[in-house]
Amino acid sequence: MPQVRIIAKNFMDMVASLPAIKLDKLYNNVFICEAILRSLPPLAKKYVLQMLYITDPVPATMMEEWVLADGASKHRVAIDRLIQLRIFSEISDRKKGTSYNLNPTFQNNLQKHIISGGVLPREPMNSDNAIKLPSLQELETYALKQWECFLLQLINSGHGEKLTGISSSMMKIFQRGLMSQRDRDGPRLTESGFQFLLMDTNSQLWYIIREYISNAEERDVDPADLISFLLELSFHVTGEAYNLNTLTDVQRNTLKDLADLGLVKLQQGRKDSWFIPTKLATNLSVSLADSSVRKEGFVVMETNFRMYAYSTSKLQCEILRLFARIEYQLPNLIACAITKESLYNAFDNGITSDQIITFLQQNSHPRCADRVPSIPENVTDQIRLWEADLKRIEMTQAHFYDEFPSKDVFEAACDFAREWGGLLWEDSKRMRLVVKSEIHNQMREFLHTQSK
Amino acid sequence: MPSVASKLYSDDVSLLVLLLDTNPLFWSTTSITFSQFLSHVLAFLNAVLGLNQLNQVVVIATGHSSCDYIYDSSSTSNESSGTGLPVLFGSLLEKLGDFVTKYEQLSKEEEFENGIASSLLSGSLSMALCYIQRVFRSGHLHPQPRILCLQGSPDGPEQYVAVMNSIFSAQRLMVPIDSCYIGIQNSAFLQQASYITGGVHHTPKQLDGLFQYLTTIYATDLHSRGFVQLHKPVGVDFRASCFCHKKAIDMGYICSVCLSIFCKHHKKCSTCGSIFGQSKLDVSDKKSKAPDT
Repeated sequence: MPQVRIIAKNFMDMVASLPAIKLDKLYNNVFICEAILRSLPPLAKKYVLQMLYITDPVPATMMEEWVLADGASKHRVAIDRLIQLRIFSEISDRKKGTSYNLNPTFQNNLQKHIISGGVLPREPMNSDNAIKLPSLQELETYALKQWECFLLQLINSGHGEKLTGISSSMMKIFQRGLMSQRDRDGPRLTESGFQFLLMDTNSQLWYIIREYISNAEERDVDPADLISFLLELSFHVTGEAYNLNTLTDVQRNTLKDLADLGLVKLQQGRKDSWFIPTKLATNLSVSLADSSVRKEGFVVMETNFRMYAYSTSKLQCEILRLFARIEYQLPNLIACAITKESLYNAFDNGITSDQIITFLQQNSHPRCADRVPSIPENVTDQIRLWEADLKRIEMTQAHFYDEFPSKDVFEAACDFAREWGGLLWEDSKRMRLVVKSEIHNQMREFLHTQSK
Repeated sequence: MPSVASKLYSDDVSLLVLLLDTNPLFWSTTSITFSQFLSHVLAFLNAVLGLNQLNQVVVIATGHSSCDYIYDSSSTSNESSGTGLPVLFGSLLEKLGDFVTKYEQLSKEEEFENGIASSLLSGSLSMALCYIQRVFRSGHLHPQPRILCLQGSPDGPEQYVAVMNSIFSAQRLMVPIDSCYIGIQNSAFLQQASYITGGVHHTPKQLDGLFQYLTTIYATDLHSRGFVQLHKPVGVDFRASCFCHKKAIDMGYICSVCLSIFCKHHKKCSTCGSIFGQSKLDVSDKKSKAPDT
């Protein structure tokens, strides 16, 4: 079965895939150097720090001595990453072997950052000139509300409710890959769309941002500019107001879209307007790293397949509805049950049992999360069993051969197919066989030579 | 203790509690000035904060007979002055200045009869542990804590019991104590602290390259330590101080009830009050003296 998976692919892969000139240009910005440093695997961070004041190339053999034998694979990963991002440049010398050098621009900028301490990308506005700033709490609820609105719109775009200011063309771009446009029943979530909903907020955010950036060229925006602006944004202070006048036109337009996603809050004053970054924006560079960020869960799963979700969110309810039957809803509690039918429905939509189980595990209520296992074993087993029920038959594309001229030819053909690992079934009495369609061409050639 | 691992943000988010030796009696005797030293340390703190957005740094100053929090990255970032980034070291320097002037008076009045210019390591260690304990209890998620002692002054044997108690509670909390000793003699306290808690102890040879030592050894997060070659100590000075005269001793008397250590024989344990029998040494003394009387 072909597996289409949406992986919240690391944003840095995107940065790494930028052309070399653009990447070098990005490193002129101190904040990007800093954000990139933060996104590196722990070991790579250590190497960068260690080599921060070393100007001569460091031989690879020497670096290998820095790690224990257990860490060899991690060492390889770290070095590869550094080279990919052009932070390390490789110098090969026939006598001394390979050695690595830190990218001078990157090195300079980081040195500056570390000695002088970071300077803010731009000065926040003075709070005294009649700006009423929302409290951090308000800002967070605003951000989450905005983001949920966006997600809801993403799934139910068919219902035509206009919740956020995102243009429908932009929405189409986001939906690409997540929704399939069917003629009759309107857009429907695809398999990857369901997987998207089960991811945590940060991964979802990055998926959307990634789509946004990859689409930038169609809107005549340089992806490198966009990346640098987004990374810079993550260094602003949450809850402070920044004047819009300090931004370029492109950045201002981008900001409008980001406000719809809940990354920033826009406010209009009498004279000028300003933006306030929310937690979603300042966390952007946190979630860049591979390490997963854990958050508090809300689901209590019982051994009798009933599930209680302490949540007021409409979105969470929709997500649970993907694989469970909602029985009733109280103001802060959703009671539902996992049934065979609800799960078949989910499997039908391409959600796998593992995804459901990991979702339940990741979101289990703190009280349950302390228990081992956090989800009752009989439930996880049953979910897996029901999925296995649906997969009793496996389909393989195949070709059928019969009417062989002689037993010898038939047996030779069987052996040939076996050698290629494509023999599925044979009936020596009536001289018939079935092979996988991948080796059909080879088989045909083989039979031609046999018949000559 | 509840499972610590489940309450961590992720593997490499760390909380570094730095114990900074500001003892003026030590800094008047060193090859590098305090300001040079401080610039290395500030750069190191910047680097630690730069490694991960969730990293947290707390600095505690250790004076001759005083200690105080002088910097906490988690609290200053919420201030309205917009110091979410290391501009904040202005505030550190300011607090440090306050700290030094405040305790200048105190230390002038005191007499240094014994001539040992030690710092109040036990005080700052317990402050660090209190802070970490608060972090453990505060919320659901917390960074992985570790303590780094940047010490230059010699050990104060009179603090032996307090320091050892702090070390053992750090061990219980599974908080490693890293130590970087920049003084001339060796510090038995710090060697033992790092040895017992699984931290790293190192005495840098060249102090002008302190930043490199700090980043290479002490910036490594606990997760990465599992697969990185770190400095291994050659030997650990396990000497204890006696409870009666606070002297470091190689051999002494131990109370069999409460394990207090004494350099001389006593009739009664000063800690728990148990009465000791005669020591063998004394008995043989008396025997030899008997014929004379």
